[in-house]
Amino acid sequence: MTRHHPDSLTLMEYSAGNLSEPHALCIRLHLDKCPHCRSRVDTLDSLGAVMMEEQPKVNVSESMFDSILSRIDSEPAGEPVQPAPPRISALQKLLGENLNELPWKRQLGDVSVLDISEKFPGQSEQVVLQKLAAGGKAPAHTHRGNETTIVLQGAFADQNGVFNQWDFVVLNEQDEHKPVAVGCEDCITLSVLSAPVKLTGRFTRLLNPFIR
Amino acid sequence: MTTLDPKPAKAEGRKDPWSQLLNKVGKHQDREAYHALFEHFGPQIKYYAMANGLASHAEELVQEVFVSIWRRSCLYDWRKAAASTWIFTIARNQRIDMLRKMQRSSAEMLVETEDLWQIPGDNEDEPVTSLHRLMSERRIRESLSHLPEEQVTVIAKVYMENKSHQMVADELNIPLGTVKSRVRLALNKLKVILQDQNV
Repeated sequence: MTRHHPDSLTLMEYSAGNLSEPHALCIRLHLDKCPHCRSRVDTLDSLGAVMMEEQPKVNVSESMFDSILSRIDSEPAGEPVQPAPPRISALQKLLGENLNELPWKRQLGDVSVLDISEKFPGQSEQVVLQKLAAGGKAPAHTHRGNETTIVLQGAFADQNGVFNQWDFVVLNEQDEHKPVAVGCEDCITLSVLSAPVKLTGRFTRLLNPFIR
Repeated sequence: MTTLDPKPAKAEGRKDPWSQLLNKVGKHQDREAYHALFEHFGPQIKYYAMANGLASHAEELVQEVFVSIWRRSCLYDWRKAAASTWIFTIARNQRIDMLRKMQRSSAEMLVETEDLWQIPGDNEDEPVTSLHRLMSERRIRESLSHLPEEQVTVIAKVYMENKSHQMVADELNIPLGTVKSRVRLALNKLKVILQDQNV
């Protein structure tokens, strides 16, 4: 179980560039709002730089440098990257401006879900948004495999504490909980399920971290 | 310059020739500096491509990385990252980008690689904590030589061969827990991570 912040090993896999796109998205959304973890990643990026420096070197030719120069010369002059372009976050690109207006599918009681796996073509994970209505409760449940979740809006609480916007949590089969949406907003989370899950029958597996 | 007591961070920054060169490229489009960076980092990036399975695209990756360095150099701020760290993240992102483009059409790419993997210093509101950052790279370099071989091997496979901890365990035929504990021991000794917040 990992709560509130990603652990060092996960950040290292992120820094090395080894995480899948949905997992990297969860980390990135957290980093954008967490200076503490960003500074940990900066240090890990430096470890990557030092590792690269410590490895053997492979000769590069002058002619390669010439072709690089001709590429940069062929670009329209004076058009380097604009400093600090207004950034649209990955989340907005994927989901638009208003999370509340997505085509949510009501599941049980206070819980709605939306599977967004198709936004990550070629990735094997299932990626799911979940919404727990403000003040709503999800039934007690456990988890199968590792499920990485980040809180996108609002907050939820369980016996282990309160999870606020941009908090990061990884749950597995040992983690039984009964989350409640706290505060006056609906709580919306994004979860990445490592193994695709088989949905069976009418009472299908409902989704984490709220219910299954 | 008549300042008697330059700030330590600044003094440290001056000692790093690569950051100075990169700064010149960013500020003045200095081609000599750019060439010096190519001679130093080009061979490292080429090895990186070969180690992680992109051998047949190694030269292409080096080129993409250097074109990207040129384009982005105006955003480089040596107070936010050492040049080698900044260049490592560009190489990493270009590798990911190349693999993504091989696997799907651009219409399927809803998010850019840089939306997912950040280049240090791109975040404007990030405070400048240069001393800490520049020190950490030097400290890592110094303490790496004191680490047991088995720990360095694991870290190299993660960073250079881009193997997950599970893949490293399979390859070395050791339990996943052993790989993780080697990484943790190494990170502790390198003081890369003082303490996980959530244990």
